[in-house]
Amino acid sequence: MLEQVRIVGLSLRIAGLLVAAVLAVGTVMIGVDLVGGGRGFDADDTFPTALISFLLPFAVWKNDRPFRPVFLWTLPVDRRQLALAKVFAGLVWLTAALTIFLAWLLALGLLAGVSPALTFMRVPFGATIATYLFGSALVVGLRYPLRWLLGAAGVFFLVGSLSQALESYSGVQSLLGSSDLYYATENARNTWQTLPGLARWALGTFLPLGAGLAALWPAASRHKENR
Amino acid sequence: MSGLPESFAVTTHGLSMRYGKQTALDSVDLRIPEGAVYVLIGANGAGKSTAMKVLLNLEHPSAGRAEVFGLDTAGHGPRVRAQVGYMPESHEHPYGWMTAGRLIRHVAAHYPAWDHAYAGRLIEVLGVRVQRRVGTLSKGEKRRLQFVLALAHRPPLLLLDEPTDGFDPMVRNRTLAYLAEHLADTPTTVVIATHHIHEVESLADHVGVLSAGRLVAQMSRDELRRTVLRYRVEVPEGWEAPPELRTPGLRRSRGGREVQWTLIGEERDVTARLAAAGATVRDVTPLALEEAALALLAEGERLD
Repeated sequence: MLEQVRIVGLSLRIAGLLVAAVLAVGTVMIGVDLVGGGRGFDADDTFPTALISFLLPFAVWKNDRPFRPVFLWTLPVDRRQLALAKVFAGLVWLTAALTIFLAWLLALGLLAGVSPALTFMRVPFGATIATYLFGSALVVGLRYPLRWLLGAAGVFFLVGSLSQALESYSGVQSLLGSSDLYYATENARNTWQTLPGLARWALGTFLPLGAGLAALWPAASRHKENR
Repeated sequence: MSGLPESFAVTTHGLSMRYGKQTALDSVDLRIPEGAVYVLIGANGAGKSTAMKVLLNLEHPSAGRAEVFGLDTAGHGPRVRAQVGYMPESHEHPYGWMTAGRLIRHVAAHYPAWDHAYAGRLIEVLGVRVQRRVGTLSKGEKRRLQFVLALAHRPPLLLLDEPTDGFDPMVRNRTLAYLAEHLADTPTTVVIATHHIHEVESLADHVGVLSAGRLVAQMSRDELRRTVLRYRVEVPEGWEAPPELRTPGLRRSRGGREVQWTLIGEERDVTARLAAAGATVRDVTPLALEEAALALLAEGERLD
């Protein structure tokens, strides 16, 4: 497990350097804005951490295609165990990166006069880890994950286009519910402008994590050896 | 002989592997004795690499099963792989961004039996530059690195897929000499898949011949020397070989009275068959491994 953490860390070092460069550029931009009398950092700013963490498994597994007789599987370790070890190695680095990102945000927030509690909410730890687990389930469990991903994106785009094209037909609009979805997400965002109660926080955090783990287990089990 | 039953390092039972409509292995029954150097011969695509992947449980057979030291490969993949040193056919490594030294440490971390001192000696003898990134190594250097990775945990079974591919003649000889030294030091069964037979001739003591996924022959070197022979015979004018002796190895001399060809079978039986057909045997000579293997391959193709 420790060796997988080391190796995954090494394999992600270029991606890590890129992220560090982006943060450095962001720091400079925000610093310049602050010096110029701007707000620099806004509590309403959102960051695509969940999207990045969903794509991270593609980087973690870029050298090992799980449905091929790859080098990784020649090692004397049970394949499901090895697959899970690699996923959790990626998770360790994701958590480390999120922690550094949060520290960066908190530092900037303090400089910009934003409350740490509001800054803390800008980094959705639970959702980011859950999307990483879903992304990993996709990469580990499907022979052609990119095709599935692009196919799903294509379907989503098609449904969206169809919804727009047929907007005048009220029946279709209510069936697809695009406007309802928009209002629902906006409401959710408004709700999270204040700290949630413990129960809601636990539900919001552990439900997606549980779902992510539930998706990961059967995906990794596709590589189980004892048949 | 002691009369004790022979123990096998590798056995397969009706092993078949299909990729869609293509058959890679067709009811293969390998019997590889413990301590043997077994050369698996066949043309490209004959199924040699597939057989090795099944032994490592990297591929699941369509039918049949395989055992390594009595362990079912499908049920005990990790235990089997812990006892195997594997050199794959491809010299490209997916972790090309790693240094050779880091890759060696990575592999070592997974083998409790890894012999660090021995690995160091192999690195030195084979001239592996550990500080270089794997992706920047030449083909020969990558093969030597794979050789280190396969040998350094002193596995009781070595699966070497085209091990000399990518070596220049000097490095090839040095590497094979080191393999021979390793075999003298460490009790090991070796399976070598190759079509460069002459390169491993000095090591081989058992031979298996795969043709289009079928195991057409499997025997010890002694049996091969005894049963695959070149016959020089004198025949009457206008003589035609009987159908059972019309093998691809038939070669008539210029005069038409002398015929030379390779035949498979016990010398006494073959000589008797030739005599019955009206031919007189003048000379019988054993063949080099490569010639014998080619004769077995041709015979296998004829029977298909």
